[in-house]
Amino acid sequence: MIDDLCDGPCEKEVAIAMFYCDFRDQREQTATNIVGDILKQLVVRGKVLEDVQKAFQKAKSEVGGRGLRLPDMMQMLKQAVATLPQVFICIDALDECLPKHLLELLASLKDTLQGSRGTRIFFTGRPQVGAEIARYFTGSVLVPISPKAHDIERYLKKKLEMDTESDAMSDTLRADILRVIPQRISGMYVAEPAVLTSCKILH
Amino acid sequence: MDNTTYRHSVSIGNDNVNCNNVTNSHNNTVNNILADENPEIMKWLSPLDSRGKHHDVRTDRVDGVGNWLLETNEFREWRSNGGGADKAVLFCSGNPGVGKTHLR
Repeated sequence: MIDDLCDGPCEKEVAIAMFYCDFRDQREQTATNIVGDILKQLVVRGKVLEDVQKAFQKAKSEVGGRGLRLPDMMQMLKQAVATLPQVFICIDALDECLPKHLLELLASLKDTLQGSRGTRIFFTGRPQVGAEIARYFTGSVLVPISPKAHDIERYLKKKLEMDTESDAMSDTLRADILRVIPQRISGMYVAEPAVLTSCKILH
Repeated sequence: MDNTTYRHSVSIGNDNVNCNNVTNSHNNTVNNILADENPEIMKWLSPLDSRGKHHDVRTDRVDGVGNWLLETNEFREWRSNGGGADKAVLFCSGNPGVGKTHLR
């Protein structure tokens, strides 16, 4: 998806920031650090670039080289976004963020959106974070993701092509793999619960 | 239309793992000067760095898988700002292992 945003034609300048939440890094993935990582992908020009450089020099001269606080970071993020006509912020696996950090992050992103009409936010996550997203972004649009049989088939074909034990494969086994696995996997995800009551749901 | 180099801020740092140097038929140059020149500032802003993870995801992804999302009206409208500020947020929801991270 990020590649598509990168490659696609667009009449305006496009800036893309991304973040992948990971339960293994939960302690370090605070709202401040996530916003900081987004900020460093979007600081590209003008006064905000100078402000970041100045703040860094100031922090460096202080004992311990203090880091920025979230409000300072947010001020810079809003400035950075304001200098860009089109910004996409993509955050993967929101559910892997600790709840206390998640709410602070969503509040910060909401604040960012309010200052910029050209900013779009893309989230992925398990259905249970839907309620929090809907709470902060009332008009958010939900697209349920489930494995499509043709996607599974395409994936399997690619993996079979790359099989290092090709001598162990027969035409029959290959055909069985391509027939049975897509059926089984598609069936596993038929009953996905719709958690977002206040979001528009794509069918 | 200009034939100019299309650089995105998504590609932070000096490596070319992401969308850096993508040629596009439009004049859309967004160049991350901070990332190119100030690795120390980058680390100070946040110890986290999504660059390596994005590289892993791109490497693992099978071309074409998940393309259906890009064809949906919801995605297109979100991408083009068609729905205005009210529809600025798109949430792709799914259970573990359905392929959310690897959507093309």
